[in-house]
Amino acid sequence: MIAQPLLHECSDPLRSTFAAAHDRIRRGATLLLLLALTIAPCAFAKSQERLTQAPDFSLPGASGTVSLHDFRGKVVLIDFWASWCVPCRQSFPWMTSMMNRYGAQGLEIIAVNLDKKRDAADRFIEAFPATFPVVFDPSGKTAEGFRVEAMPSSFLVSRTGEIIHIYAGFDPGHVQTIETQIQEALSK
Amino acid sequence: MRLQLELGKAPKVSLRDALHGAALALLIIPATAQAQSTPSDRIDVTSLLYGEQGRTEVVEPVVRFTHLLPDGQSVSAQLAFDVITGASPSGALPSGTVQTRTSASGHVITSKAGQIPVAPFHDERVELEGTWHKPLNRLISSDLGFHVSREKDYQSLGVNAKVSTELMRRLLTVTVGGGVSHDTVFPTGGTPAGLSDGTIVKLGSNAKNVTNVLLGASRIVSRQWLVAVNGTETLERGYLTEPYKVISIMSHVNGTPIGELTDKRPSTRNRSAVLLSSVYHLTDDVLYTSYRYYWDTWSIRSHTIDLKYRHDLGDDSYIEPLLRYYQQSAASFYTVGFVEGATLPDFATSDYRLGRLRTITAGATYSFRPDFATGEFTVRGQYMRQFGNGSPSNAIGIQRNFDLSPPVNIVAVVLGYSFDY
Amino acid sequence: MKRMTRYLWRFIATAALLLVAGCATVQPWDRDLLAEKKMSLNPSPMLQAVDEHIYFSKEASMGGMDAGGGGCGCN
Repeated sequence: MIAQPLLHECSDPLRSTFAAAHDRIRRGATLLLLLALTIAPCAFAKSQERLTQAPDFSLPGASGTVSLHDFRGKVVLIDFWASWCVPCRQSFPWMTSMMNRYGAQGLEIIAVNLDKKRDAADRFIEAFPATFPVVFDPSGKTAEGFRVEAMPSSFLVSRTGEIIHIYAGFDPGHVQTIETQIQEALSK
Repeated sequence: MRLQLELGKAPKVSLRDALHGAALALLIIPATAQAQSTPSDRIDVTSLLYGEQGRTEVVEPVVRFTHLLPDGQSVSAQLAFDVITGASPSGALPSGTVQTRTSASGHVITSKAGQIPVAPFHDERVELEGTWHKPLNRLISSDLGFHVSREKDYQSLGVNAKVSTELMRRLLTVTVGGGVSHDTVFPTGGTPAGLSDGTIVKLGSNAKNVTNVLLGASRIVSRQWLVAVNGTETLERGYLTEPYKVISIMSHVNGTPIGELTDKRPSTRNRSAVLLSSVYHLTDDVLYTSYRYYWDTWSIRSHTIDLKYRHDLGDDSYIEPLLRYYQQSAASFYTVGFVEGATLPDFATSDYRLGRLRTITAGATYSFRPDFATGEFTVRGQYMRQFGNGSPSNAIGIQRNFDLSPPVNIVAVVLGYSFDY
Repeated sequence: MKRMTRYLWRFIATAALLLVAGCATVQPWDRDLLAEKKMSLNPSPMLQAVDEHIYFSKEASMGGMDAGGGGCGCN
């Protein structure tokens, strides 16, 4: 039914310019509607319910394998990043400052790199040294498990392994809020 | 020196890697500074050197300043200056003998027997453009712009706006935009009546208004492939004639040009274009392809195919060969000339650019970051050849012996330099 | 001619549908190649502008300019 105006043959020779313009608008609207209808099923298929428990992982790092279950009892910020991700250049120095400030109180940060090529990640770390463990998952399986929606994405995990907050992207305007949420998690 | 190493595919892997690392550090460290303190500004300078064999020459330097703000906004200003000299076909037909006439600007034009007459001209143009880009939120961004340009007999003032939004988990970008421009045409020596012997009917200026709308969608298809569809509609209203172009009147006996009438085009033109484009990443090289279909209310239809292939020679340099093919049909009122005594149509032009035309373009871009300076140098060289319809069916008499649209050979070189500061 | 324009619109509609149809997806962490500057629809806008200027003055067509898209998809 929606496709009807597109298929409808209209051959009135006395059609005014106004009618022609109207026709054009109608055609445009039909096109948009069709587009919306085609997109809709895909958009909904992808929406999943929120993760509550952090899926465990064991990934290779610069100094041996790092497993999430070894961090039980600590507040962990799991950060997914890649060398090509522009905002990650801002989030790395910020995470270092969080580690310096709250490391003693039990905050741990695990940065999960998702680069396909290790050398790209290594060059990034050289430029932005990390004081926290960096692990490598070129397959992206871990990110899939966490249902990562943006680069970078951070998951604040409580001492009991629950995901308390998800931060999609890195916005320097939100660091104050995140810091407060880290303090709250540490106090529990 | 690095350039030579890369071109020569240096066998010493360690040295290459060291250079690789150094180059990346150079790229990343200013970016850190950018992220943490004030963002860097950018200057782009380009210069076009354009030459048509035996006809026009153009020199166009352009400088653009871009100022980046910390929240993702940017403002830029661009200043361009054109100097155009040379001669262009007047629209008149060749004769069997040497032709001499005086052009609108007072020049004496002499053309050899059998060659299409050209009119000399000189023009300078200044253009100022400004744009403001502002992200409205994570997924929506807007652009606002203006332009002002001025030349001896033409002025243009315009504004434009565009909004883009990312949809479907940022795989689809939809853009809606539009612009209006108010132009003024004030022909040297006054505006001649259309299809007349050149009688001046107006001394002041003529208005031309242009409105355009843009609707675009681009879709990420895979990790390596991006495709896009864009549609544009441009409405032109007002003085659309080329005041200096003429149409020959041919003798009905032998086709010899015996007089000239001025050009006259309709005062409305609706132009539509659809562009399909694709960018495909072959994990090192990138292939850019596009096809455009264009149609307008002057009955011109055109097809454009554009191919570019970018091959990286290292981290800092690339070469990009390009090929383009263009083909258009003639405007409904295009004519090679009038036969004496024939009734005149409402509109007519002999401007070869509104006739049947093909253009082929071949060229390459080479870009590199040298050791001796920061920033990126770019050189693009292009060769174009335009083919018109040299033997139109309505040519009569001696006109059948001449090539009425000899191929135009064009060389265009663009030099560019960009740096952050 | 009007008929032809109408067919053309139908063609555009079909092309646009094919473009967005299907649920082909790219994960946020798989956008490494797409994040590269060369992977944009118009990687050299200044060169592109020069070309458009030349073709606009030597040919009768215009329009179909690019509108942007693709990219890093970060944040």
